[in-house]
Amino acid sequence: MSRPRQRIIAGVCAGFAEHTGLSVTVVRTATLLLILAGGAGALLYAWLWVTTPTATANPVRFGAAELPKASLARPAPGYAGSPGSRHGLGGPADAAAERAAAAASSARSAPITEILLGLALLAAGLTLVASRLGADIPLAVVIPAIVVLSGTALAWRQFADIRGGSEQHSSALLVRALGALVLVAVGILLFFVTSDSPDGWTVVIASASVLLGVVVVIAPWLVRLSRDLADERAGRAREAERAEIAAHLHDSVLQTLALIQQKAGPQSDAARLARAQERELREWLFTGTGTGFGTAAGTAASTAAGTDAGAGGAGGIPDVDLPTALRRIGAELEADFPVQFDIVSAGSSLGPAPEGLLAAGREAMLNAARHSGGPVSVYLETGANAVSLSVTDRGPGFRLDDVPDDRHGVRESVIGRMRRLGGTALVRPGPGGAGTEILLTLPTVPAPADPALPHPTNSTDFVMTTHLSGPETIEDPKNSVEAVHPDRTLPAAADADGSRP
Amino acid sequence: MSEPHGTPGPGTDPGSAPTPPTPPTPPTLPTLPTLPTLPTLPTLPTLPASTAGLPVVIVDDHSIFRSGLRAELDADIRVLGEAATVDEAIALVVALQPRVVLLDVHLPGGRGGGGSEVIHDAAHRAPHTLFLALSVSDAADDVVRVIRAGARGYITKSSSGAEVSEAARRVADGDAVFSPRLAGFVLDAFGAVAGETAETTEELDRLSAREQEVMRLIARGYTYKEVAGSLFISPKTVETHVSAVLRKLQLSSRYELTAWALERKLL
Repeated sequence: MSRPRQRIIAGVCAGFAEHTGLSVTVVRTATLLLILAGGAGALLYAWLWVTTPTATANPVRFGAAELPKASLARPAPGYAGSPGSRHGLGGPADAAAERAAAAASSARSAPITEILLGLALLAAGLTLVASRLGADIPLAVVIPAIVVLSGTALAWRQFADIRGGSEQHSSALLVRALGALVLVAVGILLFFVTSDSPDGWTVVIASASVLLGVVVVIAPWLVRLSRDLADERAGRAREAERAEIAAHLHDSVLQTLALIQQKAGPQSDAARLARAQERELREWLFTGTGTGFGTAAGTAASTAAGTDAGAGGAGGIPDVDLPTALRRIGAELEADFPVQFDIVSAGSSLGPAPEGLLAAGREAMLNAARHSGGPVSVYLETGANAVSLSVTDRGPGFRLDDVPDDRHGVRESVIGRMRRLGGTALVRPGPGGAGTEILLTLPTVPAPADPALPHPTNSTDFVMTTHLSGPETIEDPKNSVEAVHPDRTLPAAADADGSRP
Repeated sequence: MSEPHGTPGPGTDPGSAPTPPTPPTPPTLPTLPTLPTLPTLPTLPTLPASTAGLPVVIVDDHSIFRSGLRAELDADIRVLGEAATVDEAIALVVALQPRVVLLDVHLPGGRGGGGSEVIHDAAHRAPHTLFLALSVSDAADDVVRVIRAGARGYITKSSSGAEVSEAARRVADGDAVFSPRLAGFVLDAFGAVAGETAETTEELDRLSAREQEVMRLIARGYTYKEVAGSLFISPKTVETHVSAVLRKLQLSSRYELTAWALERKLL
């Protein structure tokens, strides 16, 4: 049985009437008569009050035609908790029904509570009746016993509630638990305080008894705590084991993919496929957790993306930081061309990638992909004053005569774009005279982007700026080839400059 | 992912000083004059097996990788043995005393320390052995942990057999082997990107201007020879700089390195 929410005192009579099928009036009258008979009715009422869960359901469900009092009648717990009753209910009512079901089941699973409470109340009732009949009742023993039993029952009930998963406010829980403890302690003390001949031993035994009582009361919590702890430890061990297995597996897969690439040759489809898979796995493994190279240290300023907001042209790269965006570009190009981009980044790139630099970098990488067909090194450095990007390939070199269209592309979309952004670009033969190296530098301090100005404010950042002031430098292939040796002295100087604070 | 730094470029550099060339089949291990800047390098002993090439041990828990690498290594690299776990590796290295150990970063067994545990436990019992870390990992902590434990360099497992052979020879000669990624990390971790430069050569926590230049070019994918050519210095000087950086990487107490290692409970 359960007690309805709308009630006169505690809803015990209504609940009992509903449960037994008797009329509420009959039950109430009987209760009143019992109360008059030495208070037995009151005790019974109290017992039922404590032990019966509150029913929860929407009263409207049972028909508006019924009288308010009749609608007090609640279904039995089993019914309230049945799946059917939950259908079609609103959120709060549904949750309440769940809680009632949980309470009912928890009460069922811990009959100890009911037994203890019943014993306490039974003892109280019997004592009352006996004393009425004139019997000599040792009240000094009975009353403490009742108190102890009630306290213990309350404590165990708390435990049953917790285990039943019913949500409680922790403060309420604490108050009730403390109440139970105090009851037990007081009850045990009463035994001895009221005893006839108190002496030293009484005190010792009383203390021990109180401690024992407290232990009995909190035992359920201790059991629960240790069980939770063991569960958690086991869970953590499982997790660690799983992580270790996963790490080993990832290692093996990465290794296998590397082997495939080595054996299949750089130009083959198998190698390209393996590389794409490797990159995907790597991205998931390393960049997601932020432990990859280039993300660790560094106090570099933000990339100040504002400088090239208007440049556009990056095309479909969402708001990710520059290294990630470059990696994605590399992945796209590797799918289309037989190249391998080795992308290294230093310094922390904050905020979204500057679009213009990204677009120019993409063009440079595309150029390398088209003409080199091998490994291409991409190095990105986000310094305090500037972002510099170098794309170095080992291809046949920059042959402007052979590919006039691309030269135009490089001139316009790399050099021209960088100049409009207020940065610099340099195209020259790669190290040792083989391949091509494209160096892009963009100051992070926003510079006035004026296409009319050939030399923006940062010209000291890059010594080679003068080479780029006019497209004619690039247009003349002889010039770019002859410039090998002078050029080779310069990256060092440029780098040294770039590293200055 | 290639490691072009490991192989010397085809174009030899005009300004390069005479270096111990390591063409495919030198029958003897070059007894190198130990660099004065490398106090940590033990003098190369006259190895009994030196006539048969550079003695190495391969440590990796994937047998397919071990056999693949063994088959691909140059002819002058002699594989003394293979090990698959931390315990096996320590026992094998101590027993065989190879010149170079090709050491995987991730290894089962032991106390779970992987490659760095092998170096910790085996290095003092094999005083003439040098360690070269091989890893598929991109995670900086993996690599720096094994370098700080004492490895003389790091290359990725996607390197070709020739590249691994070259790196092993380089390590045997007392040089450090840096990949572009490691160079990029070093620039980052030592504050070079933010503009910090060492005032004196003794400083452990920052890089000198020259070391930064060398690291930048390596990060850009240059080989040592190309770096030397670009900076108009000899390849030997480049190697000296790289070794100095490696030493700093191993000894520096720079905040970023330690904080970051602590964060991952590496120390």
